[in-house]
Amino acid sequence: MIALIALVVGVVAGLVLEPSVPAGLQAYLPIAVVAALDAVTGGVRAWLRKEFNDKQFVISFVSNVLVAALIVFLGDKLGVGAQLSTGVVVVLSMRIFANVAAIRQTVFKA
Amino acid sequence: MDPLQEPPREPTGPGPAGRTWGKAYGADLLARLYESSLEPGYAAAAERRRRSGPEPPWQRRLGRTGTAVVLLVFGLLVAVAYRHAVAAEPDAHRTHDKLVGEVKSQRTTTDTMQRRADELRAEVARDRDRALSLAGSDELSRLHALEAATSLTKVAGPGMTVTLSDAPAQQDPVTGKASSENLGRVLDLDIQYVVNELWRDGAEAVAVDGQRLGATSTIRTAGEAILVDFRPVTSPYKISVVGPGSMRSRFDSSAVGARYRDFAKRYHMGFGTQDADELTLPAAPEQPLRYARPETSPSPSPSRSGGGR
Repeated sequence: MIALIALVVGVVAGLVLEPSVPAGLQAYLPIAVVAALDAVTGGVRAWLRKEFNDKQFVISFVSNVLVAALIVFLGDKLGVGAQLSTGVVVVLSMRIFANVAAIRQTVFKA
Repeated sequence: MDPLQEPPREPTGPGPAGRTWGKAYGADLLARLYESSLEPGYAAAAERRRRSGPEPPWQRRLGRTGTAVVLLVFGLLVAVAYRHAVAAEPDAHRTHDKLVGEVKSQRTTTDTMQRRADELRAEVARDRDRALSLAGSDELSRLHALEAATSLTKVAGPGMTVTLSDAPAQQDPVTGKASSENLGRVLDLDIQYVVNELWRDGAEAVAVDGQRLGATSTIRTAGEAILVDFRPVTSPYKISVVGPGSMRSRFDSSAVGARYRDFAKRYHMGFGTQDADELTLPAAPEQPLRYARPETSPSPSPSRSGGGR
């Protein structure tokens, strides 16, 4: 419940306050969102299995976002930023798919 | 250095490590993704809790807070990313808009400067007329006639208008998209043909979309646009002509007139001629002569300036 409220507050704050993102970080925004989505779907999946763990969720979220950003940063420095971003997005979206498929199986039993 | 010294690679290459890799991430990568839990940490934590009982309340509260904070950050992230995706147009779009704005502002500047030049020219003409009329000579009327003929002044008179316009873009019957090839598009050549025919039919002053044509005027294409004296004109192109009353019938019966009626029928190009009782055509922009210079001969007669040699 508190978690849902926090999520809504975050969305509303982002839409209302319109925080400005430094130009250097803007390239990482989409990747960060995809990485965060992976952690969140993983958390929901665990929660549906009654295995949810706060510490695990926080750590997976932070590390997911940081690692994804780091890979893209490294790719930019090596001159293969676009390819590595694509790779990161592909891997993360596969994981999101798997997580959502598991959630679907739990919720709809199908 | 010595190629002979290079250790043999064969045995150390695809060894057991390579096989392990193939086994772990080979064909069953997708299956593994779907079947195994992606975050084994959750299962491990649940197992630990089952063995050693629930965590102390402070730890639980800390965990709750952490989850709430993380979800808040997540919401923020999604909202900001959304705003960015929506607000930030693609760069190409922005560059295009900027260029369009620049072109517009430059055009406004040109227009104001043109207006200012016209005003100054009118002032000069007024002063000159006054000076000449004080001198009391018939030079003034001769000058006015010359100016009108060389399209340096505004003229008015009866005449006709010719309207040319692009055919509506043809739609591809399959995709429904506008076809890029439009045979009914008006080209610079079309306007040139029509204008030349009008001169032949006795036109004394011609303006295309309000751009008066002078002796050295150009009608040409730059990319998609048609430029008359480097000023863009757009479809429908309205060509206003001052000339004799017989002009319209002569134009309509000319080969050019017949050709464009045919184009209108075949390619749906817009084409039409109308009589006009009173037309006012602006002065053509002054084209400074760069190479030709007036021959300053004492004799008032324009010809025979070379003398009797």
